[in-house]
Amino acid sequence: MAVETEATIEERTQAFRDHVTSGGKVEMTDWMPDEYRRSVLKFIEMHANSEIMGVLPEREWINRAPSVRRKLALTSKVQDEVGHGQLLYRLAEDLGKPREQMLEDLMAGRTKFHNVFHYPTHTWADVGIIAWLVDAAAILSQKALLTCSYAPYARTMQKICWEESFHIKHGYDIVLSMMNGTEEQRAMVQEALDRWWGPLMQFHGPPTPVEKDKDLAWRIKSKGNEQLRQEFLSMYVPRILDLGLSIPDPNLRYDEETGRWQYTEPSWEELRSVVTGHGPRSQERLAFRRLNYDQGEWVRQAVMTAS
Amino acid sequence: MHPSTHAYEHGTDQLLRPLLLSLADDDFMLGYRDSEWTGIAPMLEEDIAMSSVSQDEIGHARALYEISVEMGRRATSDEEYGGSPKTIAREVDALAYGREKTEYHSSWLAEHHRGDWAFTIARRYLYETADEVRLEALSGSACTPLANVLTKVRREERYHTMHLRTWLDRLAASPAARPRLLAALHSLWPDALGFWEELEGEDSLVASGAMPLSSEAMRERWLTRITAELEEHGISGPDAGLTPRTGGRRGERSPGFEEFWAEVTQVYRLHPGATW
Repeated sequence: MAVETEATIEERTQAFRDHVTSGGKVEMTDWMPDEYRRSVLKFIEMHANSEIMGVLPEREWINRAPSVRRKLALTSKVQDEVGHGQLLYRLAEDLGKPREQMLEDLMAGRTKFHNVFHYPTHTWADVGIIAWLVDAAAILSQKALLTCSYAPYARTMQKICWEESFHIKHGYDIVLSMMNGTEEQRAMVQEALDRWWGPLMQFHGPPTPVEKDKDLAWRIKSKGNEQLRQEFLSMYVPRILDLGLSIPDPNLRYDEETGRWQYTEPSWEELRSVVTGHGPRSQERLAFRRLNYDQGEWVRQAVMTAS
Repeated sequence: MHPSTHAYEHGTDQLLRPLLLSLADDDFMLGYRDSEWTGIAPMLEEDIAMSSVSQDEIGHARALYEISVEMGRRATSDEEYGGSPKTIAREVDALAYGREKTEYHSSWLAEHHRGDWAFTIARRYLYETADEVRLEALSGSACTPLANVLTKVRREERYHTMHLRTWLDRLAASPAARPRLLAALHSLWPDALGFWEELEGEDSLVASGAMPLSSEAMRERWLTRITAELEEHGISGPDAGLTPRTGGRRGERSPGFEEFWAEVTQVYRLHPGATW
């Protein structure tokens, strides 16, 4: 009996694998192998974590936005990110992990969030560079999720990508305004770019052979790390240079022969260290998240007992 | 006299300024204070809701500042008003961020730090109910541009008060939350009464019809309303002999304002007038 069941699961898993590799979709109520469920959950959970940790560096500037227009745009952008977090945590909850557990794991450092949100912000120019280039790097990854085999995630990504494209415009507009401004404003943007370039180049992760990338095999994502980084460079290097900014990598160049960008190898050691909680602001941000979460505990309790 | 002509007459802008700025500054300060919840509210759903509310408030402030800017221009020039959107935005920013601290007309009720969630709800409740009475009365203002803007503002404010009342019900009904709510209300009563401090030049504002009701008359209306509403929750209104905490409408700023304002204007002050 046991052997027969095992064989059945194996067969079902193979059929499932064939289904997703040929572009088939999976709904929340469909049968799926445990490994697939775990992989999708982990992927979505990290995405959700990144959304709500990503709001912390930007919200530091909500009170300091230099005009009414920027104030409204930034509050609205951060609000979008919180909204994405909420949508994504709901998706992850459907896959079997309660929201409280995900938040606990995040705050305890048991789960991860994107490298770029472990770094400090220094000036208003950081707000522009984050919204423009960090969001640009993120949207490339996110667009590669529109064809995700897990259909509820793919559908949610349509809304998220739509909103992210406005964030990029908002960020570009900040950068452009400053580049058209005073000498000091231009210097602020250059300094911000210099600070963010390293983390941006690490953002998509080290090149990984297709056969070793399980998320690719399950068609959770459709593009590999290096492909995304190449796309980012192709799209944004010309735009950055057009603005009169310089990129802090003397080895950066487009190789006509191979059709690929050459660049100084990003520090994968730094990336590993940062995402495991050793970045310059990792612990401070997690502690801040924890502080606010704990202070809100009585509110959540009051809502639960009232309803 | 036709009200809209009246509103733009020379000198009227100076008369109307304390009225327009008290409305705008209140929304501006409160919008800023509540936007401090963005990203860290007790629940993601409330985080999103509070962000929307605070954006609405800032949007209302902007519309009111625009009226003030427009009136100032008309008063100093006989030409038709012709500012480009960018110029108007810059003048609005100058008004919002660039005045001396003593030139703001906001109430202390609006200026306070967000506090904990109970304080935020209590303050918003007092503010929204007061604002409701104020906007209701001013919808009949002889200052036509103001009356027109307030029609739109009141449409949005309806949702704010609905949201607020849901929270008031929840906190009042929860044994654990109720003491926090009561403590917050208790600490806020003097500022809530002070919200109705007489405006600069109020006699003329009332006489000209710009203010259909005096601050005192509006305060009485508001007190009657919320005392009845709070009673339903078994909560009593302010003590009869309580002294209102005033000063905000005359340019005195609340404790903690200095630090808050240094943060708000930090980037603006780097290069006033620069484009960011």
